[in-house]
Formats: sequence, C-alpha cells, structure tokens
Amino acid sequence: METAEFRRELTAWLDRADLPAPSVGPGTLDEQVDRYFAVKQALWDADFGRYGWPEAVGGLGGAPLLRAVVGEEIAARRLADPGCWSMIEVLAPTVIAFADPALAAEVVPPLLRGEELWCQGFSEPGAGSDLASLACRATESDTGWVVTGQKVWTSYAQYARRCVLLTRTGEPGSAHRGITAFFVDMDTPGITHAPIETQHGRLEFCEVFFDDVVVPAERMLGGVGQGWQVAMDILPFERSTTFWHRGAHLLRRCDDLVGDVEAAGPSPSAAKALGEAYQAVVAFRMRSRATQHRLASGAALGAETSIDKVLIATAEQKLYETARDLLPGVIELDGDPAAGSWREEYLYSKAATIYGGTGEIQRSIIARRLLDMGAES
Amino acid sequence: MSDAVIDEDDLAMLAAGFDGALRGVDADAGTKGLVELGWLEVLEASPAQGIATAFAALGSAGSAAAVLDDVLAHALGLAASTETCVVLPAPGRATAPGRRDGDDIVVDGVVTRRADAATTAVVVLDDGGVVSLDASALPAAEGETIDPDAAHRRARFTAHASVVEPLDVAGAWADAVAAARAALAHQLLGASRTMLDQARDHAVERVQFGRPVGSFQAVRHKLAEALVQIEGAAAVTVEWQPDADPLLAALAKSLAGQAARTSASNAQQVLAGIGFTTDHPFHRWLKRTLVLDALFGSASTLPAEIGAELLARGEAPRLLEL
Repeated sequence: METAEFRRELTAWLDRADLPAPSVGPGTLDEQVDRYFAVKQALWDADFGRYGWPEAVGGLGGAPLLRAVVGEEIAARRLADPGCWSMIEVLAPTVIAFADPALAAEVVPPLLRGEELWCQGFSEPGAGSDLASLACRATESDTGWVVTGQKVWTSYAQYARRCVLLTRTGEPGSAHRGITAFFVDMDTPGITHAPIETQHGRLEFCEVFFDDVVVPAERMLGGVGQGWQVAMDILPFERSTTFWHRGAHLLRRCDDLVGDVEAAGPSPSAAKALGEAYQAVVAFRMRSRATQHRLASGAALGAETSIDKVLIATAEQKLYETARDLLPGVIELDGDPAAGSWREEYLYSKAATIYGGTGEIQRSIIARRLLDMGAES
Repeated sequence: MSDAVIDEDDLAMLAAGFDGALRGVDADAGTKGLVELGWLEVLEASPAQGIATAFAALGSAGSAAAVLDDVLAHALGLAASTETCVVLPAPGRATAPGRRDGDDIVVDGVVTRRADAATTAVVVLDDGGVVSLDASALPAAEGETIDPDAAHRRARFTAHASVVEPLDVAGAWADAVAAARAALAHQLLGASRTMLDQARDHAVERVQFGRPVGSFQAVRHKLAEALVQIEGAAAVTVEWQPDADPLLAALAKSLAGQAARTSASNAQQVLAGIGFTTDHPFHRWLKRTLVLDALFGSASTLPAEIGAELLARGEAPRLLEL
C-alpha cells in the first residue's frame, strides 16, 4: 500500500477509534505501559498494526515504511510513549532475522499484538560504550546453555516476557568474536531484576541478574559467536524507524512549545530561540526521512547513521533547553501535569547523548569511518 | 511535487561538467562556462535540480561566477539572460531592495559581479513593483570588500523615476527569496565541504609530537561536528522545490549558514598556522561564506524569522511527510 494512502486511512481511523485519551502528564510507568498495550492492541485489531510486518509472524506484509507512519502518528497524538514503542522496532526484526522460523512464528505475534513487552540485555556494568567487552557468560551443558552474569540499563525488564540477550561464549578476551545471542524467557528460574531510579524519576531501567539460568540450545539467535552480528543488525532499525518515532515526538513537543510561548506572550528573543530549536528538529527529521527511504530501497545502513544519532540528540537537548528558557520556572517549580511532562522529558533529554553510543563515540566513528582520518591516538 | 526531470546519471554528468567549468578559471570565465553547458536551459527545465547542481559546484570550487541573478530572474518570471542583473536585498535582510520616495527610486542592496557585464539592472520594490534601468546607472564599487574576488558588492543609489522602466512580472518577490535562499544554501554547503576537506587533509598529513594531528580526538571531533551540521543542513536543502513551503528555504539557508560558520571556525582551528596565511587557499572560502551567509538573511537573523512564522501559524509544521 502506498504510504500517503495508508496515512490517510490510519489518521481517519485514529480520529474515530476508541483509544485512550492523549496523555497530558507523565503518568506512572504502569499507566504508560497499559496505555501502550491498549493502543497496540487496537491497532492490531484494526489491521493497521499488522502492515509492514511479514505474514510469517502474523503481519499483512507491505513496506516497513508503513510501520514508521504508524509510530509517527501515534507519537504525534501522544497516544503512547515512544520508549515502549521503540522496543518492538529494535527487537522484532532481529528475532525474525535470526531465530528459527518456527520460533519466530510462535513468539513474535504476541509482541506485535500488544500482549507483551520484551527487553534487550546488552549493556553491562563493565560494558557500556565498549559493548564488545561484555562478560555475562554462557556455557554449554547437557541441558542447553547456562548463563551467569549481570546486565544493566535494561529497559522494561520488569514488564518483559522475553529478552534478547548477548553473552560471552568465547574466551574472556575474545571481544566481538566471542559473543553469542540468545532469546530468553524472563520467567526462567535464576533471573532476578532490580529497578534503577533515574534522575527523571522513572523506574524504567533495571539491573538484571542471571544465576545459572538454563537456556535451551534452540533459543540461540544465529550461531555460536554470531552475537556481534545480531547486535549490529539491530542498528539499522534503531537508527531508522525508532529515531523517526522519537523525532515525531520531538516535533509534537515543538508544536506544544509554540502554543505555550504564544500563551505566555511571545517576544523577538523567544521567536529566535523557538526558531533555533525547530530548525534543529527539522534537520534531524529530514535526515531521518532520507535514511528511511534509503533503508526502504534496500540500502545497507552503516556508519553514516552516526550522523542521524548526533542530530537527534542535539535536537532533543536543544528543544528541552529552549522550553526551559522560554517557560520560566515551569520545569523547575510547577506542579501541574503539563509541567510534569516538560520536567520529566527535560531531565530525560540529558540521556540522549549517552544511550545507544555516546556523542563522543559517534563523533569518533564519524571521524574514522566517514572522514577517513585513520586511527585515533 | 518534484520537478526532477533529469535522471541521476545525467545529473552526475552535469555536476561534473559544472565543476570542471568553474575550477582554475576566473569568475567571468566560470559564468561563461556554466552558460555554455546549458545552465539557463537547465534552470528553466528543472529549477531545483539546476540550482542544486550549479550552486553546490560554485561553493565547492570557490568560484565567484555570477549566476544568482538568473535564479532571481527566473523566479520572478523574467527571461533569464546574462545581460540582466537583479539587485539583491541589503545584507542580513530579505526585503525587496528598492522603495519609492517621491519621484525617486531609492535602492539599498547588493549586486553580484554580473552588474559589471550586464546591460539591464532589475530592482524589486517593497510595494511589489519591479523596475528595470540601464546597468550603467549602477554605482561603481564603494571600495574593497572582504572577498578577494569581490563576488558581491553593495549597491546603494537613488535613481530618478524618469530613468527606470516599470516591468510587469509573473513571479512574486517571495518566490525569488525562496529560490535564492535554496541556491545560497547549496553554495554554502559546497563551500563548507571544501573547508572540511582542506582541514581533514591537513590533519592527516601534519605531524606533531610524532603523530598526525588528526589522530587526536579533540581535532577529530571538531571535524566530525562540522560534517554533522553539513549533512543536517543538506538533508533539508536538497528537499527544496519551487512549490515547497517557503519555510523550507528559510530553514535550509539558516542551517546551511550555521553549518558554514561551524565548518569555517573548526577548519580554521585545525588548519592552525598555515590556514591563517594566504599560502593556503582556505581564506578564500572563509571570506566567501561570510558574504553568502549575510545574503537573504543570515544564520543569526533567520531563526527569529522562522520562530515568528511558527508563532503566526500556531504550529510546528512537518513540512514533508515520509
């Protein structure tokens, strides 16, 4: 289906569908997750949530661009948090690509139907930007693979039914060569989690502990030692569709800021600040749009998406700093739900240059790979 | 609606042709070269592609060839001709350069080098009127400019109504502003890419402390940041079409001007001593971008215009759907 026509039908449906009211405040994490499930299920029932996914996992086929359209319209209407939404776009394509087809056909549909969440077990206390140094160990045994170790920054682990987990199966110094990915049920004995309280007041991230957790061999994604490939395969989706959704959220917040500034009484300096924030969001949006179209045309995405990453992080921090400047005291002192959203998102925006590879990592990749500047000293 | 009528291969050939016509020759030969390669025909047939190709080449080559006049003439609905120069707005502004004052036409604007070769000068007035006058009536250069090639100079003069002729044009000044902004954005980005390349080449060749200075992270990240801003601005600029929302051209020019400021400043720092001399060509691109940034609204003035437009519309437009 053509994207413009799909968008027309989708927005017409969204205008009349019985969906949760748009969120006005940050709400609790439980509320956000419930809202996400409700919206996702309604989209599935109306078929809009099935386009862009392969028929083998319950989808109706069509270009993945259609998924970007759905995520954009949901974010633009503040119907669901882009964080929950992003998890599907990152993990489902990977499981479809690397899991045994029968396993994918069994486990992916409930995720797409909005019946469950998954989580991504990548980062560790000793493996942040340097992901290839991860240490969570998987050892082959008679009953399958036995996993022992710790993950951190695992979003929605407390809600997740499944986990895409990276483990060390090679020698401790085997770097990216000795990593293997597994698809793990979160209710397997030996898995425990503890939430981390972040500065924006969310218990969204967890530490996850694996203590002799037995994972059947058929739950391996790819082969032994192919975990790095699995992780890299996630990159194009994280950097295209997920970013597009987040960009749609930022544009919506730009829209909100225009209204708030208008209400507060605009000034020339406010107009200038607003213009600067908006142009940063537009620069990201147009870059991301081009990336979406490159992906859709079959191009392999690579190091050039580090530019998308720097642009979105820059735009996000610029937008929320501008909101703080133009709405004096709102972020710092006000207690109403709208102020609560600005405050929470302002604080969360500080993570934009940290997660998914820090701003410094991205600039080093750009210098090495795109500017061909040779090795760093 | 896309006006893309030139296919990718032909466009690449055209770009290579334009580039070749501009390098190693002076401004007037550059203008002549572009015209001989069909610049005016391409502008007519496919304005967005023609403008993108020619102005990226102009910026990259650092050429002072004068073809912005044609972009304005075309957008105004005049027959573009190398005999015609069109007066640009005063620096930092996008308002029409002329106004009526009794029996006089008072002009505060800028002209390209075309003014010295043209027979006719066109001035758009702030009341929407358009007049032409003999180009010989334009004042001579007021003195030196920052640009060694003097690609642009001020044109501040008063002409009596008896020496001007009213023109009936189909296009509006706003259309000319949008087209000029898109053209200048492409030129600024072409120039930014050249400055970045110059700094990158220097950084990998220049050895200090026993290693290339480009191996130091502080140096690398300066150049990476320049590339990020160039690509962000380029993603907006390449989407311009004559029928695009005028906000898109304003955003392209603003972002390209900002990318040029960052590229110039970061490249200057990385080029260090040699970049401060005229032994290295960097200064030519630096000086040109300072002028280009100031034309039709700068990276400093445009954000306020863009923000005021958002407030007037009451929303932050998507501009383009996926």
